Amino acid sequence: MTGQRAGRRRRRRAPAGFRVGAPFRWAVLLATAVYFLVPLAASARYAVQGNGGTFSLGALTLMAHDGALWSGLLVSLAIAAGASAISLALLIPTAIWVNLRMPSFGRVIEGLTLMPLVVPTVVLVLGIINAFKDLPGFFFGTPLLLAVEYVVLALPYSYRAVDSGVRALDLRTLVDAGRSLGATWPQLLRLVLLPNLREAILAASFLTVAYSLGEFVVANLLTFNTFPTRLYEVGTEYADEAVAVSVLALTLTWAVLLSVSVLGGRGASREARRSQRAAMTAREARRLGSEPFGRPAAEPGEPA
Amino acid sequence: MTEPAVVLARDPVRPAAADAVARRGVRVEVAGCERRFGRIVALGGVDLTIEPGELIALLGPSGCGKTTLLRALAGLEELDAGTIRLGGIDVTALAPNRRQVGMVFQAYSLFPNLTALANVSFGLRLRGVASAARRRRAGELLELVGLGAHGDRFPHQLSGGQQQRVALARAIAVEPRVLLLDEPLSALDAKVRTQLRDEIRRIQLTLGITTLYVTHDQDEALSVADRVGVMDQGRLQQLASPHIVYERPANAFVAEFVGSVSRLPATVGPNGTVEVLGRRLPLPPSAAPAAPGDRVDALVRPETVAVRRDANGLGLVVGRAFLGAVSRLDVALPGEVRLIATVTSIEATTLGPGVAVSAEVTAPPLFVTAPSSARSR
Repeated sequence: MTGQRAGRRRRRRAPAGFRVGAPFRWAVLLATAVYFLVPLAASARYAVQGNGGTFSLGALTLMAHDGALWSGLLVSLAIAAGASAISLALLIPTAIWVNLRMPSFGRVIEGLTLMPLVVPTVVLVLGIINAFKDLPGFFFGTPLLLAVEYVVLALPYSYRAVDSGVRALDLRTLVDAGRSLGATWPQLLRLVLLPNLREAILAASFLTVAYSLGEFVVANLLTFNTFPTRLYEVGTEYADEAVAVSVLALTLTWAVLLSVSVLGGRGASREARRSQRAAMTAREARRLGSEPFGRPAAEPGEPA
Repeated sequence: MTEPAVVLARDPVRPAAADAVARRGVRVEVAGCERRFGRIVALGGVDLTIEPGELIALLGPSGCGKTTLLRALAGLEELDAGTIRLGGIDVTALAPNRRQVGMVFQAYSLFPNLTALANVSFGLRLRGVASAARRRRAGELLELVGLGAHGDRFPHQLSGGQQQRVALARAIAVEPRVLLLDEPLSALDAKVRTQLRDEIRRIQLTLGITTLYVTHDQDEALSVADRVGVMDQGRLQQLASPHIVYERPANAFVAEFVGSVSRLPATVGPNGTVEVLGRRLPLPPSAAPAAPGDRVDALVRPETVAVRRDANGLGLVVGRAFLGAVSRLDVALPGEVRLIATVTSIEATTLGPGVAVSAEVTAPPLFVTAPSSARSR
């Protein structure tokens, strides 16, 4: 009897904690959603609202015919792609090298990557102008300069993404195993390390792309015509078009990040499927008796 | 019509994979190998020759240099001095990927993005073996290690023991000239460790690969190796068969490191004898010249000590550990001397802690050495 009562008490107690926690969590989630979604919904509504509160696609039509906006968007996308590629090319070997050969140097590298957060943007821009002004025209004055700049500015986020991915691997063992099996460094990178760093690479790409698509100050100070700078110009003249473009820009950024994520995920699944298919083919070939074996396929009897 | 491989494959003692990988093992010659890390001497001039097809186990305490030597053989550690020859070829300056050695690591080292089959065929892929051929051979090797049905599993879907089996198959898939095993069983539980230890030996004998096996587990080393090397402070202290290492250790360190010993105060007697616990026994090899009347420490094995219940005995049982068929007694003797003795578990029932006993050494000591304050281990 006593035991039954105690059991009931225990059963009653456990959900009690849940009842207190769950509403709180839902409330936080709801408040956050309201905080983010209400302004977005309002902006979206404003973007498709004509005179007298009627539905109108006028602002979007205006935007569709804005050639400078589209060219700015293309430039921004190119810069984002370039910055992402340069980031990965620099950061992956660096993070691997530091973690493998000089782990004690890791903190120094981390400190260096934080510099863009503490140096004012104006100082950075002046530094860029002074540092690169003597370079040939194909670099200075082209979006390539901005891509390089965004690599530096996104470092605090992108380096951490790559570094945490590298740290999560048993890097030394994987490298030693690959080397002892005959892999050269490029093979090791291509076949072992990069596939296992897929998520870290995607995260670093996300962050660099998002940063590049949204950065305004440096692009404006260096007088580049990018998507954010054109957006600012439109906003000073046509408020409704600016709002429409902002909503579209947000959607576009999400779409780009989503596509990178989906493509990355598909790549991982494709590789996994290919690997599993190969294993199944080999097993099937053996089942059909293409090769006899001296030892029966005994199960080790260990739980997987 | 019949290919030799198929004929051999039908021989139950010699699997197809064995034929695919079988090579006459090569001789490994390590001469004067030195390696320092700052002030620490990891290898202080190691000389070692492994005969073709032989399995040598390297034993030693942590930091003695055994793993450094193994990694140097694999090319993963550079040497400050010395040479390494595999099959008569000097590979000292050769990159690891060009040495043709197979290695199994202490940590689980399977590539997480590849299935077991893809892991095993990885080395073959690098060597340009055709896809069908490498899948077939990888499948055979998985059969050899008892995981034929697990080829499509990823490392995270395999247990620790299964992962090490796959790692072993992967290491031998590339037809290595030498197989290097770096404490491959240390992360596994006792039962799986024993199973896999026997599997490794069976496969090594089947394939005839020259093998260097680093371990800190004495049972593992003594049970699988043709010869056992005991290392300390970057030097090889003794290299001999397990029986010799246990019965005739080269020095006091080996005697104390391999198996259990007690340090008992003894006196050198006339005519090559030594008196231990009141009994005169033949004088064993000595660390230093000993003259009659010299006081020394005699190192004795627990199984060469007889203990019996004796109300007038000078010993007192202070500890008893049940080990199955036998039990281990810890006996305190006068002068802060501790004696370890092995008795049958039936005898041990009457020899619990607090019982007065008398003790006698029944066989010559392993070694005599200068007196030390640490009398037993």
